[in-house]
Amino acid sequence: MQLSMLIPMMVVLPLLSGAALLLLPSGGKAIKAHALIGTLATLGVSLLVVCRFDWSESQAIQMASAIGWVEGFGLSFGFGIDAISLWLVLLTTVLMPLVVLGSFSSVTHRFKEFYGWLMVLEAAMIGTFVATDLIFFYICFEFTLVPLYLLIGVFGGTQRLRAAKMFFLYTFTGSMLTFAGVLYVAWFNTTLPWTLFEGAGRWTFDIRTLYGSAQAMSHGQQVWVLIALLSGFAVKVPLFPVHTWLPLAHTEAPTSGSVILAGVLLKLGTYGLLRFALPMTPWAVVTIGPYIGAFAVAGILYTALICWVQKDIKKLIAYSSVSHLGFCVLGMFALNSVGVGGSILYMINHGLSTGALFLCVGMIYERMHTREMSRMGGLARIMPVWAFFMVFFCMASVGLPGLNGFVGEFLTLMGAFVATDVLGPAYAAIAGVGMILGAIYVLYMVGRVVFGPVVTLGPSLGDPSDGHGVRTDDLNWREIGVLSPLAVGCLWLGLFPTTVLQTLEAPIEGIIEPTRSILDGGVYGKGVTIDSDSERIDRDSDFPAARRVLVLFDTDRIAQP
Amino acid sequence: MEPRQLIETLAVAALFAPLFSAACIILATRRVMFKSAGVLATGVMAGGFVCSVVALVTWLGLDDTSPIVTNIGWIPIPGSEAGWLYLGVLIDSLTVAILAMVTGISMLVHLYSIGYMDGDPRYNRFFGYLSLFTFSMLGIVLANSLLMLFVFWELVGLTSYLLIGFWFEKRGPQLACKKAFVMNRIGDMGFLVGFGILFAKLGGNILLPAVHGGMFDAIRAAVEAEGYSMANPPMWLTMAGIGVFFGAIGKSAQFPLHTWLPDAMEGPTPVSSIVHSATMVAAGVYLTARIYPILTPGAHLFIATIGLITLVMAACMALVMTDIKRVLAYSTLSQLGYMVLGLGAGAYSFALFHLITHAFFKCCLFQCSGSVIHAAHHQQDMRYYGGLGRKMPITMICYGICTLAIAGASLPFTSIGISGFYSKDGIIAGTVNYGVAMQSLGSWGNLFWIGPTVVAYITVFYMARSFALTFLGEPRDKHLHEHAHEVPWTMTLPQVCLAIMAVIAATLPFLKLIEVSEPAIGGEAVAWMQPTEALGDAHNPGMHATHAYLLHGLGWIIMLVLGVVMYRPGMKYAEKIAAIPGINLLYHWAHNKFFFDELYDTIAVGVCKLAATIIALIDKYLVDGMVNLAGWVTRQLADAVGLFDQRVVDGAVNGAAAMATSGGQILRSTQTGRVRAYVLFLFASATVVTLVVVTVVLVSP
Repeated sequence: MQLSMLIPMMVVLPLLSGAALLLLPSGGKAIKAHALIGTLATLGVSLLVVCRFDWSESQAIQMASAIGWVEGFGLSFGFGIDAISLWLVLLTTVLMPLVVLGSFSSVTHRFKEFYGWLMVLEAAMIGTFVATDLIFFYICFEFTLVPLYLLIGVFGGTQRLRAAKMFFLYTFTGSMLTFAGVLYVAWFNTTLPWTLFEGAGRWTFDIRTLYGSAQAMSHGQQVWVLIALLSGFAVKVPLFPVHTWLPLAHTEAPTSGSVILAGVLLKLGTYGLLRFALPMTPWAVVTIGPYIGAFAVAGILYTALICWVQKDIKKLIAYSSVSHLGFCVLGMFALNSVGVGGSILYMINHGLSTGALFLCVGMIYERMHTREMSRMGGLARIMPVWAFFMVFFCMASVGLPGLNGFVGEFLTLMGAFVATDVLGPAYAAIAGVGMILGAIYVLYMVGRVVFGPVVTLGPSLGDPSDGHGVRTDDLNWREIGVLSPLAVGCLWLGLFPTTVLQTLEAPIEGIIEPTRSILDGGVYGKGVTIDSDSERIDRDSDFPAARRVLVLFDTDRIAQP
Repeated sequence: MEPRQLIETLAVAALFAPLFSAACIILATRRVMFKSAGVLATGVMAGGFVCSVVALVTWLGLDDTSPIVTNIGWIPIPGSEAGWLYLGVLIDSLTVAILAMVTGISMLVHLYSIGYMDGDPRYNRFFGYLSLFTFSMLGIVLANSLLMLFVFWELVGLTSYLLIGFWFEKRGPQLACKKAFVMNRIGDMGFLVGFGILFAKLGGNILLPAVHGGMFDAIRAAVEAEGYSMANPPMWLTMAGIGVFFGAIGKSAQFPLHTWLPDAMEGPTPVSSIVHSATMVAAGVYLTARIYPILTPGAHLFIATIGLITLVMAACMALVMTDIKRVLAYSTLSQLGYMVLGLGAGAYSFALFHLITHAFFKCCLFQCSGSVIHAAHHQQDMRYYGGLGRKMPITMICYGICTLAIAGASLPFTSIGISGFYSKDGIIAGTVNYGVAMQSLGSWGNLFWIGPTVVAYITVFYMARSFALTFLGEPRDKHLHEHAHEVPWTMTLPQVCLAIMAVIAATLPFLKLIEVSEPAIGGEAVAWMQPTEALGDAHNPGMHATHAYLLHGLGWIIMLVLGVVMYRPGMKYAEKIAAIPGINLLYHWAHNKFFFDELYDTIAVGVCKLAATIIALIDKYLVDGMVNLAGWVTRQLADAVGLFDQRVVDGAVNGAAAMATSGGQILRSTQTGRVRAYVLFLFASATVVTLVVVTVVLVSP
């Protein structure tokens, strides 16, 4: 079998097993087993990819291939994988079996739909990460909305319809603008002379070709493209102040939905910024970056403060996600290898620890039927195993050294600190206050729920089923089995972050190279050097792109090294 | 095995021993390991102690006393000169001294806990946490880089959180552990900022200065590259030093982050005894010692000032507390102030020596107080004690010895004293030098030695007070007194060992080891600091003759007698004094801990919480409201368009149809079917056409 077939297999396998679910009888057991096997098989394939991946060439797009679609218009399904994509794919395939396993007792009806849509969601998420082609990326990116919309809308809490609608409309609106932006980049490519670079001057949607196209734009054009990209990806992240869909969606989603949302879907936003914004519009990123960093810092503090006064435990964790992703964006826009490396590690870390926190909360919800912190307390006394995991993942999320959260947080902060040309110490120091607030709100929650006097009141007042059917049994083996791999992952990445970080070095170099060369003084685009300030001002004016390209090729202006 | 390698192996073994027992205890179920947990943890800790003593003895026999260093890459930093952030081990003479002290005290605390925690439902868990706590502290002691130090620094924070909140069912411990963690986190942020400055300037080369070619050399290079010198250091270096020291302010509970330490005694007493002596609070002082060579004169002044404020403030508070553990807690604060002031003032060796001597006697004092509390049915208020010495002679003797040690007792007119005397005296001598050297401060510089000297006498007084209130006089609570009894041997044995150490610590080679480790700063940076040689013989016990210590020998006895006489009959004299107008206000102020808690609760916490509430409302109504508004506007627009579509667009189509219909209706009336009418129309039309044509022809030119 060809190596390049592994990647389409990874995408198609969950789709097929999702479809096969429909053929099964509607009894619960068979469907659950089938879903578990399907996700485990996908995990197996992804592990095979890990084995066959050439780690010494981690920046190269490997196992790449394309399936033609509308060739004349440059449309195809291109896919391939580099180290960044691979780690995120692995995060997805590891989380999915755990999500399925964790849903065994929480989902009580419509098994086929539930597990079927989970499979479709998995396929779409993997597809997004492996796409090397804009159209394929966009299809998968948008298609993640549909299954989650249904998962929230059908299996969610009391306000599920509103949450699902808001989630769908909000993210969809943003990504339409993103689509317009990338279409503009693709069109712009056709206007470029074909001599400019390989693939210029014709219709193509290959991401790497479009890097060159967008880089040839004027500053003003790049800013517009960046704004278009941000409007989709920043909503997805979500970056303050476009975050309000998230707490609602998280609170109303079923546990599995929350885990996937926090674990993988939010990373589509940061991944998009990393894959598109940074290499495509370096010039705009350098000038707009400080503002984005400011929004990230503001978001960190703003949402951390909001966490402090939450009464709903799930909402608290949801808001903390926004705060954490702020660190992720901050590190990314530090535009140095320390910050971006920390940012990518943060994506993985956040997926593990926040996903696990949502699972923990889900397990309590199944027993107590409430998410209100005042209706539960002192659970360490009656559910010690659960309390152990809860405190463990809280500590991972607060950034305790030895667990995964620390390395990511540390690197993003240090990255921002040393990036005096974009962000600088003030950003890092203010974001550091978020660390204190993080400790406060998490400890407040732990102190309330895990420690203190035992409270097992169940649903809040006014609910007719008050206190009825509250269970306080500790975790069973299945639930321990769900949480343990995540705990091991947190510990491993905390102790040996090198596992991930070293493989990321080369791809990160590639991603920050365009921005870096602008910051380091003038080397820009395809090896063209701009050596004087007047040149920069000249380029800032919005003269037609085609003429500007000619300027780029005017050999007199290329400085001699 | 080669001796240096042996030392390293032993130190690493001592580091991982408590981790091993902690893992065994936490992972094993209650059935497998409950009662045996205490024995296992204590045994393993004893093993660690033996390792570190052997390491210490081997180190003393070494010729080559350069630091033993092992660096292991942890986080890759591409593009930097170092290439990595390192974890690893750094062993110099300071390390081996502190290692022996920490493992020794931890072993004794483990032993003590077997008796103290007996009957607790989470007996095994306690030993797991305690071992983990020791492991974290040992990690700090052995750390080779600021990063590794920070890692274990945070672990100390976590384990102290778990230990202080060990009795989490009660409200008090739960609040206390949260407070400790948050206060420490505030300090840690300063640490991170300092760290960030160094990281930015040194590109990840943040190996501790004692490592040759480590951070110190890199800093010197960076400073000189910027055109400064170590004598005239740049601002960022001062800021980095103060930033990292801010971490120490948190951990060592210095002003203004000191409020967590007195509350931390909500934890079980063995926890207090280890937190207040060998771990946690010691970590801050140790960190300051480790970054000593990079501290600029400005940073030194900052550190000395913080230490001075803390030691004076805490001594005043200790004077009025009636809870036996609170008195000890404030005395810890005050003694930590001495150490920090000492480090700031350049008395490096004596500050660290005081760390070690203080660890022994403070641990003993806390254990004695724990025994008293154990015997007194968890009554902690000294006003209910009195006369307990007759029931608990061993505890009383140990407490008495350690009271003398913390008081810095010496024989009058000689320079012979017990351990606290040597260490505290050295610090005061250092502060005298510092006060004189800081001419830029004018006469204010004198505060740096007047403060600690006066507080030394206050210390004697409040310790005598607690001793007299607890052990002497008549029993003030008969019931309590009747049930009091001496505690089991597992609790008295550690007390006795520690009391012996408190007496003889000065004769052990600790001071010598520390002096060797004093960073050899070949620089101008600290020339004002009057290093050891410049003080002449000041740093050996003979120095006391040169200072006011002939008087001190009498002074401490006077204060001791005063304290005992005044408090032997209970609080009655004190209450009279406290009722005097003017003093009552001072008393009230000190008794309420200078209102720091209220200040922080209302201002810091209150304001933040208010801000949080407001922001949550803004988020709900304004930010989310904007989204909803956008949705609403779109909806209204859609309605309007719908209406337009229905009325105008569709109306136009319908209108066209209607016009066609009505037009048809009108024209239809002409279709009569009669030939006459059609002929009439024909002719009429022909006439009209003819007329038009003729007119056009005539009119046209």
